[in-house]
Amino acid sequence: MSGRFLESTAMGFARAITRAMESERIARQRGLLQRLDPRVRVVGLLSLILAATLTRKIGVVAALFGVAVLLAILSRVSLLLLLRRVWLVVLAFTGVIALPAIFITPGTVMARTGALQVTEQGLRTATLLVLRVETAVSLCSLLVLCTPWAMVLQSLRALRLPREAVAMLAMTYRYVFLLVETASQMFESRRSRRVGILPGAEQRRMAARTAGVLLSKTVETSNEVYLAMQSRGFRGEVETLSSLHMTMWDYIGLLLFLLAGAFAAWIGR
Amino acid sequence: MFELREVFFDYDGVPALQGLSLDIAKGERVALLGANGSGKSTLLRLLDGLYPAAKGAVLFEGAPLTAEHLQDDSFTLPFRRRVALVFQNPDVQLFNPTVWDEVAFAPLQLRWPKEQVVARVDETLRLMGISALRERPPYRLSGGEKKRVALASVLVLDPEVLLLDEPTATLDPRSQSQVIDLIQEWKGSSRTVITATHQLEIVEDIADRIIVMEEGRVAADGATGQILGDRELLLRANLVHAHRHSHGDVTHSHPHVHSHGKHEH
Amino acid sequence: MHIPDGYLSPSTCAVLYAGAASGWYVALRRLKRVLLTRVVPLISVFAAFSFVVMMFNLPLPGGTTGHALGVTIAAIVLGPSGAILALSIALAIQALFFGDGGISTLGANCFNMAIVGSLVAYGAYRLMSARAAVGDRRRIIAAGIAGYVAVNAAALCAAMEFGIQPMLFHDASGTPLYAPYRLGVAIPAMMIGHLTFAGMAEAVISAGIVAYLQVADPALLSRSLTLSYTSLVGAAKLRPVASSTRRLWIAVAMLMLLTPLGILAAGTAWGEWSPAELARGASSRAAAVRSLRPEAPSGMQRLSHLWTAPFPAYAPAFVRSRGFGYLLSAMFGVGLLLCLSLAAQRVLERQRRRRAAA
Repeated sequence: MSGRFLESTAMGFARAITRAMESERIARQRGLLQRLDPRVRVVGLLSLILAATLTRKIGVVAALFGVAVLLAILSRVSLLLLLRRVWLVVLAFTGVIALPAIFITPGTVMARTGALQVTEQGLRTATLLVLRVETAVSLCSLLVLCTPWAMVLQSLRALRLPREAVAMLAMTYRYVFLLVETASQMFESRRSRRVGILPGAEQRRMAARTAGVLLSKTVETSNEVYLAMQSRGFRGEVETLSSLHMTMWDYIGLLLFLLAGAFAAWIGR
Repeated sequence: MFELREVFFDYDGVPALQGLSLDIAKGERVALLGANGSGKSTLLRLLDGLYPAAKGAVLFEGAPLTAEHLQDDSFTLPFRRRVALVFQNPDVQLFNPTVWDEVAFAPLQLRWPKEQVVARVDETLRLMGISALRERPPYRLSGGEKKRVALASVLVLDPEVLLLDEPTATLDPRSQSQVIDLIQEWKGSSRTVITATHQLEIVEDIADRIIVMEEGRVAADGATGQILGDRELLLRANLVHAHRHSHGDVTHSHPHVHSHGKHEH
Repeated sequence: MHIPDGYLSPSTCAVLYAGAASGWYVALRRLKRVLLTRVVPLISVFAAFSFVVMMFNLPLPGGTTGHALGVTIAAIVLGPSGAILALSIALAIQALFFGDGGISTLGANCFNMAIVGSLVAYGAYRLMSARAAVGDRRRIIAAGIAGYVAVNAAALCAAMEFGIQPMLFHDASGTPLYAPYRLGVAIPAMMIGHLTFAGMAEAVISAGIVAYLQVADPALLSRSLTLSYTSLVGAAKLRPVASSTRRLWIAVAMLMLLTPLGILAAGTAWGEWSPAELARGASSRAAAVRSLRPEAPSGMQRLSHLWTAPFPAYAPAFVRSRGFGYLLSAMFGVGLLLCLSLAAQRVLERQRRRRAAA
């Protein structure tokens, strides 16, 4: 495992970059979600996530998951993509966490194998947990897959998030790619020079040194960025152009989202 | 347009400008020539009002560029529009989500009306030939494209003074000549262009006057032809190096300048 | 350590969002005094850095991996306010973009990692590196220990948030609605992983970077960051920081003290929807839980004992009386943070007075 560290991290970087590229393609499609005003998308999908958290009935959460799948299909998002990136990953992580609950939750016993008892309550709680996570992550992924990052930021600003917060989100996103590129280059050059697999301690030292170099370089860049911003007139508050208009369809969409969320929360109470 | 009197500046104790004085008139095309570390970039930043001089005065059309003065919006807003700086590293200048947003940043900060911003940005993108890139995030551009976006992001303001920090460094030959062509277009206009560079071969095309800098001071100041002809000066300022080669028993030594593709001896 | 959607009840999320929001508010206010705009790019840098650090899997002694937060180095270079914002931004992007951590639980994640993490890291570091020169070896060790403690403090908060869910939020049949493991299970399960792997990862990264910076870029460590590279626009004077830091601490302390009450109150109301049942709601629930235990087969009891065995001191108390057990862990957490903060405060005051007198 320790020998693969460098490779897996470099792969991780490449993956992160390609993931972002994916999102641009889907965001350009003319699917249902893409046609809605981004603010409606943000508020609507968040309200569905909230509903999934509020409701207590498995059936309702399953229905919300169905809504997510439907939205995906209508928005030209490949279900295979969702399966690979979201559903299987969540199943793996949350599934593992939820599994013991099936056996140790007190309640009416349904099955018995030796010392292990499966309880009805245990099954329900595990299912509820996994379903909730799947639904929430699916909805959030839909939001991000169908919306260019710039639009997400604009919507957040329109929803009254403080300017500085939005500016920081925007810049951080930018810097992540800069950092990842720089780090990948550093690793690439190290990989080509590496003769064999390094012992753990040496790798740790190298990781710390890499992190340090990255940090210094990026802090320096941030100073320069600040100067560049000032040079172009920045004086403390980022002024932005809002080009978002709500059409009738957007209002209808918003209403539908909110109603669906409220209905789900009410039914599942 | 610019006057500097005995200007000193240092970075946390490391001296960068040591008693520099010079004048630049409107409409001049000047090249700041000097090796790395000679203080060219620092000078450009002081001219753009980004750093305060530790000692001495920096004046723009007679008005001092000091901290207090730049707090005053009635001075700053016109100043930022009239004077523009293009940084050496384009990544530093590309911090908006899309190319369109990047070019729109400056006019928006200067509070131009919305319709004017949109019109001007579209026009600038077209003039620079990058309209196709408008929705692209800046980190997915090539080196040449980034440079063009960086240039567009300041040209959108139609500035009177352009400060260019190593505009052709790290560019491929085609992008380099594109940038040089752009600078040449401004010859004869009222635009003042001050370019910092260490590449001798482009200087003839982009400047009529050369200021040679050495260790934070002006080492020489004169017309392009005159300075480029002074080999001793160039050697001293570390802009060319002595190159030795031998034919049999005889060793030649002459100043040598590297450039892309051709060698000048 | 990122908590996904669905693990915490809406009321828990709401309370923790309130806690996080107050932390953000104070941090923003505090930075505005210095020059918020100057540090916006800087905070973004550290946010991106922390984001990338959380992607790294570090090989640790024993052949496994863990991941760090980057919160310690952010706190050391930026100070607590900057670190709070930087980590929160990183967590927000992770939640939005990569589904790492939920949206409803973003407040909780920020509270644990960005706020508690930053404050503990900063306090511990300053406490241990007090009066040491920038290049002193003591700073490296201080950074390592501060990182270790900070990560575990954050993990403890998360574990406590998990652990109270089944007690307070379950339906009539006793099915836990959110995180299904009680404190007796949640705390050991989370802490074991962090006391060993994640804590070590953060310690290694923090100490390693401080060591590197001592040689390569000591200015970053000397906390004069906001004073160097002064630019012309808006160079502001630094105001004394003690008052706002104390206010932040009081806010955190109050929230931690109020949280149990808040959740308990909300929990009671949340358990009952029908007004008719409101009156007998609490007692019927308690009765249901008590009645479950005699029915639980002996095999189940043996198994649950296995889970809670690592912490024998805790387990019996919690299993018998959930309210008491909950209060105990909350107080432990609060006490830990308050002690650290008071100690750090005292040391800093003494330092300042000494420097002023000199």
